[in-house]
Amino acid sequence: MKNTFTISIDGKEVQTKDGQTILEAALDNGIYIPHLCHHAELDPVGVCRLCLVEMADGELMTACRIKVIPGMIIRTKTEKVNKAVRPVVELLIGYHHERCAGCPAIGKCELQTVMSHLKIDRKRVRRLRPPPEKRPADTMNRYFDYDPNRCILCGICIRTCEVVQGKSQLYYTGRGHETKVAFYGSEQKCATCLKCVANCPVGTLMLKKPAEVK
Amino acid sequence: MPENSRTVLVCQGTGCISGGSPDIQEALAAEIARQYPNGEIRIKHTGCHGFCQRGPLVVVEPEGIFYTKVSPGDVPEIVHSLQPDSAPVERLLYFDSVINRPVRSFRDIPFYYRQQRLVLRNCGFIDPESIDDCLATGGYQALRRALEMKPAEIIEEVKKSGLRGLGGAGFPTGRKWEAARQAPGTPKYVICNGDEGDPGAFQDRSVLEGDPHSVLEGMIIAGYAIGAHQGYAYVRNEYPFAVHRLGIAIKQARERGFLGKNILGGKFSFDVDVFQGAGAFVCGESTALVLSIEGKRGMPRPLPRPRTTEVGLWGKPTLLNNVKSYANIPLIINRGAEWFASRGTENSKGTVIFSLTGKVVNSGLIEVTMGTRLREIIFDIGGGIPAGRAFKAVQTGGPSGGCLPAEMLNMPVDFDSLTAAGSMMGSGGMVVMDQDTCMVDIARYFLDFTQRESCGQCIPCRVGTRQMYDILDNITRGRGKPEDIDTLLDLAYSIKESSLCALGQSAPNPVLSTIRYFRDEYEAHIFEGHCPAGVCQHCI
Repeated sequence: MKNTFTISIDGKEVQTKDGQTILEAALDNGIYIPHLCHHAELDPVGVCRLCLVEMADGELMTACRIKVIPGMIIRTKTEKVNKAVRPVVELLIGYHHERCAGCPAIGKCELQTVMSHLKIDRKRVRRLRPPPEKRPADTMNRYFDYDPNRCILCGICIRTCEVVQGKSQLYYTGRGHETKVAFYGSEQKCATCLKCVANCPVGTLMLKKPAEVK
Repeated sequence: MPENSRTVLVCQGTGCISGGSPDIQEALAAEIARQYPNGEIRIKHTGCHGFCQRGPLVVVEPEGIFYTKVSPGDVPEIVHSLQPDSAPVERLLYFDSVINRPVRSFRDIPFYYRQQRLVLRNCGFIDPESIDDCLATGGYQALRRALEMKPAEIIEEVKKSGLRGLGGAGFPTGRKWEAARQAPGTPKYVICNGDEGDPGAFQDRSVLEGDPHSVLEGMIIAGYAIGAHQGYAYVRNEYPFAVHRLGIAIKQARERGFLGKNILGGKFSFDVDVFQGAGAFVCGESTALVLSIEGKRGMPRPLPRPRTTEVGLWGKPTLLNNVKSYANIPLIINRGAEWFASRGTENSKGTVIFSLTGKVVNSGLIEVTMGTRLREIIFDIGGGIPAGRAFKAVQTGGPSGGCLPAEMLNMPVDFDSLTAAGSMMGSGGMVVMDQDTCMVDIARYFLDFTQRESCGQCIPCRVGTRQMYDILDNITRGRGKPEDIDTLLDLAYSIKESSLCALGQSAPNPVLSTIRYFRDEYEAHIFEGHCPAGVCQHCI
């Protein structure tokens, strides 16, 4: 039985237990903190930067990588957090080619959840320049396709594969905004467990239609 | 040795090599052999002598006769002038326009005598491929001395010297060494960061090419101080001469017992291998560099994370310093921490090396005492702006740094002043800009660099730097929107606060500093469709 204690999130005392991260404690207590690269079964990597929260000393930290300490005071909705996180979400949406309508992930999309939580203003997104040209989908795998235009590079598919296979068959390639996820070497090594597809928080990894399966 | 013994030094730094200095050296060697068959004139090649603007350079020692812009056709005349009673070839000497006459020795040229060349003491003087040349100037004396000291004494000496690292924060080197020594776990590693990738920076490569033994010596001393037995010199793949000469230096140091098992016959063993980077700018970041050596994709690790001194290469305690930091160590050990700390400012000790480039009369590799004013560097050493143009700004710290305007010229150059002004010491690039430089275009250039070099893992850096680049590119093409400056400032704040590593956190600096000091230029582009410097073709 782990030690339980309370911490303060946005002025609310919440119960938490030793070993939990701030994000886990918040989610357990029904407090939503925006996040995209967090997955309950995977180690946190802190790459999406959306779960930044303000610590008592004013520093911004990723809630997914900080373990709770008794008496901790966390604020998730300060001006500082807003000014840091909101533009990141706007950038993501600005670079998203697709409209939500017609996206197979509609309804289960984590990016939509983040958007509606932050009440993202489309007018502010329109200040941004349109994204670079669309990139082709990777259709090499027998069972699923990868659409780089929808990918948020949360790395959940990579970490999922790591858990299943020990060494991920999927990995990052490219640099800058051309970074994407790809099979390294041969996609034949794919165990076809399709857990990566199941865990994809947006509509990037999608099962092929039965007719397309080779 | 004959009485009139002289040595002809041919600069084989990267700049002079591209100017054709290998051919010049070959021609000089043949001509000297023909005119002086008794061997009274020696010839050797050196690393970067510093005054790249005037290359290819040939120097005749001991007088320091300084020939500039030498071509193979000048060789017979130069060799003939080596006769005991001959005068130097005047037309090849540096012409000082202030005193209006040619100057014989480089030691009398302001570009050189206003500098304080400590780390660069051997660059341009010794043959970097000859350990004997290095030993003749006192090489490896600090190692002998250090091996007689206790590791804790060495660390104390480095701490007392006040030497600071060249990462963004200027972390005290001695404290880093102490942390690496105290960190539990073995084996420990020493890494030299030679992944210099900033546009316009060439000082790490010049030190590695000109005096590789000083870097090795610093690394060996570091290894002894922290209790490591293996070092890695991480050098960019794009620096073939640095890799080549460092490789030779390592081989020679092993042969002479400075590297390898039982160094100098004692109990301490330490070896160094060169690791060539694959050309990613972000691999200069410590955690990405470590991953790169491990054979993984170079992506910085997010905070909170253990320090590299505790969990570094292969998960072991690792000391990672820049090329110049290691090259400073023999100086500190030989001359003492007090001597070192007597130079510089309150919080920035010793000297700093800059690659002085851009719109400046004398570009090249320079070293000055910390605290030297920008004006002195750019106008006294650099000779000011060419063609009577006006100074506009100076950019330090590469893509992570900022542009400082004329009002800042009296600012002393040290870690804290640069940071306070919105720039940084960083790599040590110093790019001078004149009235014909468009500051929006400069910001666009640096953001283009960072957005390409982002490792792609975190959203603000990957998408944010690209978006900033797109907006800046639009502005320079006359397609700016009235709200663009505010959008840039919003994005800059967010990217600085939310990015995962120092690359993203500092990427907006060129934009922030140009908006801070040259906002009117942005406004002229956006609201009047006019580029005040006349650079942006679509807004004249």
